[in-house]
Amino acid sequence: MTRLARVGLAILTLLAAFAIVGPWIAGDPNAQPDPVNGSLLLPSPAHWLGTDQLSRDIFARLASGARISLAVAAIAVSVAAVFGSALGLAAGAAPGLAGRLLQRLIDLGLALPRIIVLLVVLAALGRMHYVLLGVVLGATGWPAVARLVRGETLRLRHAQYVAAARALGAPPARVLWYEIFPGTLPAVLVASTLGLADAILLEAGLSFIGVGIRPPEASWGGMLYEARDYIGSAPWLVFIPCLALVAATSAATLLGDALRRSLQPETR
Amino acid sequence: MLGGTGSGHLTTPLLEVAGLVKHYRTGGLLARTGAVVKAVDGVSFTVAPGETLGLVGESGSGKTTVGRTVLRLELPTDGVVRFEGTDLASLAPGELRALRRRMQIVFQDPFASLNPRRTVGASVAEGIEIHRLAPKREIPQRVANLLEEVGLDGSYASKYPHEFSGGQRQRIGIARALAVEPRFIVCDEPVSALDVSVQAQVLNLLLDLRDHRGLAYLFIAHDLALVRQIAHRVAVMYLGTIVEIGTARTVIDSPRHPYTQALVSAVPEPDPAKATARIVLVGDPPSPAAPPPGCPFVTRCFHPMKDERCVAERPRLRPLDGRDVACHYAEVNAVGGR
Repeated sequence: MTRLARVGLAILTLLAAFAIVGPWIAGDPNAQPDPVNGSLLLPSPAHWLGTDQLSRDIFARLASGARISLAVAAIAVSVAAVFGSALGLAAGAAPGLAGRLLQRLIDLGLALPRIIVLLVVLAALGRMHYVLLGVVLGATGWPAVARLVRGETLRLRHAQYVAAARALGAPPARVLWYEIFPGTLPAVLVASTLGLADAILLEAGLSFIGVGIRPPEASWGGMLYEARDYIGSAPWLVFIPCLALVAATSAATLLGDALRRSLQPETR
Repeated sequence: MLGGTGSGHLTTPLLEVAGLVKHYRTGGLLARTGAVVKAVDGVSFTVAPGETLGLVGESGSGKTTVGRTVLRLELPTDGVVRFEGTDLASLAPGELRALRRRMQIVFQDPFASLNPRRTVGASVAEGIEIHRLAPKREIPQRVANLLEEVGLDGSYASKYPHEFSGGQRQRIGIARALAVEPRFIVCDEPVSALDVSVQAQVLNLLLDLRDHRGLAYLFIAHDLALVRQIAHRVAVMYLGTIVEIGTARTVIDSPRHPYTQALVSAVPEPDPAKATARIVLVGDPPSPAAPPPGCPFVTRCFHPMKDERCVAERPRLRPLDGRDVACHYAEVNAVGGR
């Protein structure tokens, strides 16, 4: 593992730990102790990262937002990985017409503009629990994984050890599960790590527009949305969630790139 | 011409291949009018129980395709393959899988034929599990015994393929094939990818296993010297057809087809008194997508009697001097001396 990959992994681990532990030590993210005199305060021992326009503690909101934003992204990536893998394997392995139909389904999924679909669906569904939001994001993220896994499946189907398993009399399902499926996992792992960055940004973007995580619940994108009016007077309101987003997405990208380099060229 | 011509075996054949044809269509999605590559173009032979048939030819001659189609890893375009008297094409998928116990394959490339993500033990146990040949708790012992039978340590079962050398991996591939107790194994250039020193060891292992287990082999190779060491009979392939087939002694010691003669002349002869001039064939074999209408070998043939008949008319395999040969002028030796 390269040094950059270690840095990426370390940052992701720290952010995850922050998302888990942070909300406990930071207190209520929605408390408004003194909206009149206590808003837009600079960082101080009482408020480590200052307060926002409603006098809410930014550290508490950042921690709460980390839990929600990272959980949404992780759920989205997991749902996309599981669903995409299953569909990709089926499309790559199914013979004849069934395989072609599944491939068309994947093409259809790829052709749909993800952000537009999400805007419509989320606007229609209204406010939802963040776990459900993660599932909805994942439900639009599977086509990329499915295409990847289908390609890997088609490639591995011609591997000599697959021919050996068939020659031994292994039924198609057994070949798929024992010989082909494990071979697709590295690609899925790489795609999911890189996809994590996408999902974080997607959730932030949707929350910024107002259809993702909605106020007063805290999310990094939502914090940016609420801070946009104060970019001149209280720029740290914008910088802090931005920094968190940049750290999370670049860490995921670094790790994903390193994983790709070490896992993709079949190491013997 | 189906029977075991020149075999000298009176037993019913274990494997009977008649008129085997495998064509591939080239060209992708856009080019619908692709050419037809005739990888195998009408091949017939038999293999008796316990017998080794060497299948020799250069790359592209279709010998590997024959091996894979015989096992129905690829579906033949035409022709019949009977194993133990059963037409493989008549079997339902489940029946064919059950029959696979009796016929196995050892691949050329030991680095590609083992799943890098499964332990050696899992790969060797695969066949035992599929065919339920042993209770689950006895499988580790079976695997260890198989590994020892091919000259490896039984404790290797928990290791992964990348921890082994090419020769060791080929032994693992052989153990995997043996696990289902086959009667017949297609050896698809099993030693070509190995170092010369290791080649002999693996070849000896195959010979020992044949004797101990009474195995029949279809031994595919491009090296006639190798085939001479293991095969009872030899079939020489050129451009998808068999040009000469007979006992190993007959075919190798007194080849009748000019192509076989060229192959034999390329085998190093340790006795300088017996050594003859090496025949170096000019050019490459024609593309199997556009084979000559007559004799497939005509473009490179050096036979002094080569004429229009060779260009126009495809020679059939016919018996001559104890073997079958496909050459219009096989009675006349193309090279003196031999």
